[in-house]
Amino acid sequence: MTNAIYPQVRVAPARLLNPETVEQLLNLLAAQEGIRRILLKGQSLPAEVPYGPARGAPNPHSKRRTITVLDEEVELRTHVGTIIMELESIEVLPAIRATCDEVFTRFPYSIQEGRFMKTQATTSDYAKYGPDADELLLGLVDPKSRKGPVILQGTR
Amino acid sequence: MAYKPQYGPGSTIVAENRRKYMNPGHKLETVRATTDEDLVLIMGHRAPGSAYPSAHPPLSEAGEPDCPIRKIVAPTEGAKAGDRVRYIQFADSMYNAPCHPYLRSYLESYRFRGVDPGTLSGRQIIECRERDLEQYAKDLVNTELFDPALTGIRGATVHGHSLRLDEDGMMFDMLQRCVLDKKDGIVKYVKNQIGEALDREVKVGKPADEKWLKAHSSIYHSMVNTPYRDDEEAIDYIKRIHSLRVKYGFMPKEA
Repeated sequence: MTNAIYPQVRVAPARLLNPETVEQLLNLLAAQEGIRRILLKGQSLPAEVPYGPARGAPNPHSKRRTITVLDEEVELRTHVGTIIMELESIEVLPAIRATCDEVFTRFPYSIQEGRFMKTQATTSDYAKYGPDADELLLGLVDPKSRKGPVILQGTR
Repeated sequence: MAYKPQYGPGSTIVAENRRKYMNPGHKLETVRATTDEDLVLIMGHRAPGSAYPSAHPPLSEAGEPDCPIRKIVAPTEGAKAGDRVRYIQFADSMYNAPCHPYLRSYLESYRFRGVDPGTLSGRQIIECRERDLEQYAKDLVNTELFDPALTGIRGATVHGHSLRLDEDGMMFDMLQRCVLDKKDGIVKYVKNQIGEALDREVKVGKPADEKWLKAHSSIYHSMVNTPYRDDEEAIDYIKRIHSLRVKYGFMPKEA
């Protein structure tokens, strides 16, 4: 569960990001110390057309692909629009800002501090994960998703 | 003096564009040459070259009842032939797309006959007889009302108009019906409007540059184009309408 003692930041670039840009950014961020969790948010890119007359037809999309972050494969299922991070301390923020400056060169971005992850389990979380759910998962993974988070070894 | 429609208030380029697009006396600038076959492929209602399926016999054979309205209103070519009613739907990005849903409905009502426009916040659908539709769709796609990157032809799964653009400047499309070819800079439709793969790519031209979009957009936008609050005439007009509606709400009685 998100503990309110950990600061959170949200990076919002002015454009929706290509997988290559996400890959570059995550590799730089994940190599830094002091980031506990990273949540990628964006519009869903389903593998099949979800509704309409072509429902069930394959949906090839160049923005849905697998990227590699610190030797771990991450399957992007969204067109990433914002990156939310939980930090060990707000002192990491200047380093994150420097990383964003390095990656977002063709369009601007903003970084906000605040609370962007859930602070308690919802009914859906309870139904999906039960009373003994891993607290690190809640607020990070879509309860409807059958896939869990990617664990990066990081710097430890 | 004969009535001369004013179409809409406003003293900015956005208001001027709105008036221009709505005015059937203004000839829309043709900026691309999408063929009939291309449009039939994108819309996906029938195979290119095939006959128009019909919903009823041609009017000449139908034996119409004696009706004064039918004598006044000449049927369109599609209605005459008994074509099916089919649709095309557009999504317009709020980042300076040339047209937008409300304006589409207005301009189609002014410019076209026998159409049923449906307006929603981020998309607009137009329904009419199939052969009329193909003609109208050509006007909507080949003229300044369309930009390949910021206007999408989307029958279903239309979300994108209010989202940030992709890195390459394209409007978000969950089904990625059109892609920007990085080699030649041309936008190509690879799926029809409901998301089924096409047998061949359909080229709809290069995305317009920022300057052209600003000069042709009909959308007020405080960050990327003319802010609505800068248009004093439009604001005055809205205030007047608002004031009159409120007063009428109290049902004032003339002395």
